[in-house]
Amino acid sequence: MLSYILRRSLISFFVIFVVISGSFFLVRMMPGNPMQVLYQQLVQQGGLTPQEIDAEIKVYYGLQPHGPLLSQYFQYLADVAQGNFGRSIAVSSATVAHIIKQALPWTVFLSAASLLVTFVLGILIGTIMAAFRKGAMAKVLTLVTSFFSAVPAYVSALILIWQVAAIHHFFPAQGAYSPSVPVGFNLAFIGSVLDHAVLPVTAAVITGFGGWALMMKGSTTSTMGADYIRASKSWGLTQRRITQTYIGRNSMLPIVTNLALALGGLFGGALFIETFFTYPGVAYYMVQAIDNRDYPVMMGCFIVVTTATVLANFLVDLFYPLIDPRIARPGGAARGAAERRKSEAAEQATAQPGVAA
Amino acid sequence: MTGLGRDLLRILRGDALAMAGAIIIAVYCVVAVIGPYVAKVGLVSDPGRAYEGPSWRFPLGTDAFGHSILSELVVGTRPIMEIGVTAAIMTVFVGVTVGLASGYVSGLADAVIMRVVDVFLTIPGLPLVLVIAALIHSSSPLVLAAILSIQSWAGLARAVRSMALSLRSSDFIEAARGQSVPLRHMIGRQLLPNVGPYVAIHFLLAVTGAIYAEVGLFLLGIAPVSGTNWGTMINIANSQGALYSARSAMYLLSPMASIVLLQFGFVMFSRAMDELFNPRMRVLA
Repeated sequence: MLSYILRRSLISFFVIFVVISGSFFLVRMMPGNPMQVLYQQLVQQGGLTPQEIDAEIKVYYGLQPHGPLLSQYFQYLADVAQGNFGRSIAVSSATVAHIIKQALPWTVFLSAASLLVTFVLGILIGTIMAAFRKGAMAKVLTLVTSFFSAVPAYVSALILIWQVAAIHHFFPAQGAYSPSVPVGFNLAFIGSVLDHAVLPVTAAVITGFGGWALMMKGSTTSTMGADYIRASKSWGLTQRRITQTYIGRNSMLPIVTNLALALGGLFGGALFIETFFTYPGVAYYMVQAIDNRDYPVMMGCFIVVTTATVLANFLVDLFYPLIDPRIARPGGAARGAAERRKSEAAEQATAQPGVAA
Repeated sequence: MTGLGRDLLRILRGDALAMAGAIIIAVYCVVAVIGPYVAKVGLVSDPGRAYEGPSWRFPLGTDAFGHSILSELVVGTRPIMEIGVTAAIMTVFVGVTVGLASGYVSGLADAVIMRVVDVFLTIPGLPLVLVIAALIHSSSPLVLAAILSIQSWAGLARAVRSMALSLRSSDFIEAARGQSVPLRHMIGRQLLPNVGPYVAIHFLLAVTGAIYAEVGLFLLGIAPVSGTNWGTMINIANSQGALYSARSAMYLLSPMASIVLLQFGFVMFSRAMDELFNPRMRVLA
């Protein structure tokens, strides 16, 4: 178990390291390097000595524009490790870390709520489809879920804003809470936050639940066809025991793996949902930063989002042995199971186009 | 192959939804090929004709500039399909090559490749695509397709590798190895045909994934705009205030419906492919 945790945490650490390094070299090595563009702008403005310009750029990017590449790189690694992502170019007076600190709770709240509702609804519908897979209801449900799994997040978000908010005014479609309520732990504020979360969460659920339902149906159906289920029936085990212990746990395996992968996909959808609902989360600021060519904010958001996804993956990896004890067993068997699990996940991920993207 | 074709036809006949999917995809392909020849989008705007309802001349009505929405949809089909299919081809090519090589070579190279795949699998795809598209800012369809497939190959590579691993120990690979065939022959002639079916299904899903992300890029205005496509249509409709006007329903809904219908078609058709290549599904379903 300990070596399993160690291996998983090493891999997670490695991914985060690669992403931070990648971010640095992407921005630094791109043709039309944004740092050079800023440098040119400052030179053209005039009135600054080269030393002052260098100092100015260091404030934004945390880098010396003319230092050797490697020393810049280590400087950047050290800064990011301390949570220093530089300054926003578009919003003067704000550090990137400050923007992210304000935005992150909203994204976490919205994503957690969306994932919870999507997951529960999807599993429920998937189980119903698997249980009654011969009847007409399963046909209708399959059609409906397949249709919704083909709806991209931007379509569901825009249609909700247009129909529910702009024309019928059922729910607000802008921001995370009403500006007229006092911010704090009071009933009016919490009510306003929930009110504002209804449409963004609904938009995420509409695009997401179909994939989960189809996955759950597929997983349950193939578990029900397995030899050990037939064997357990012939031993005369109770239906309840077969359903809960044999079918339930085994068909949940690929689903739990996908829970971690889905976080990345969820954030992909959040890019559109937060942007269209002007919901002040990390995804919203990231798109804004891209629009404004505000590279420090863009890369900061990207690094934070990726790190969060990697950590979530790591957490799922930690909890996974609780469902499938085979994983953490020492020796070759453990490795084999972990490999299988990942490749299953990769196959499953392709089965839900919206999420995979 | 004719046997496969006959099987596919039989499955499609038995499954109305899969048949519908196949027809939808076929129609979109035809429109993508002939679209620019049969429909033209005017360059001059005609404010007097803005937001007209459906008529014989404009079957889907007109947009904020008095252009025919149907013409825009038809013209916009080609760039979307072109980039989506190119991205899927790149995804499949890289994924299969890496997966087969990694699974067959094994050892240290395999371990290194799989760590790289792990990294790509964990990074959230769409944000990565967005960031790179914003940094590169190219309007070339090939570059755009490459950006769109930057992450999607990883999942395929992993799945193909695990198949290659199990194929490695099979008898016919053993026999080929006994004849010491070159690596190229081993991968191309022995391994590839066995992963083909899975790859075919993945190709369809890769197209839907690429189209989803691609339209999103145009919609957010991150990919440079070149000509008319569905993403820019929604983007412009949005910026023209279509969300707050009941008159603009057709303008907003038409490109959205086009995307959803195409995605639905791909998902349904991939079901038929699944059944075609995966006989176990037929027994259980």
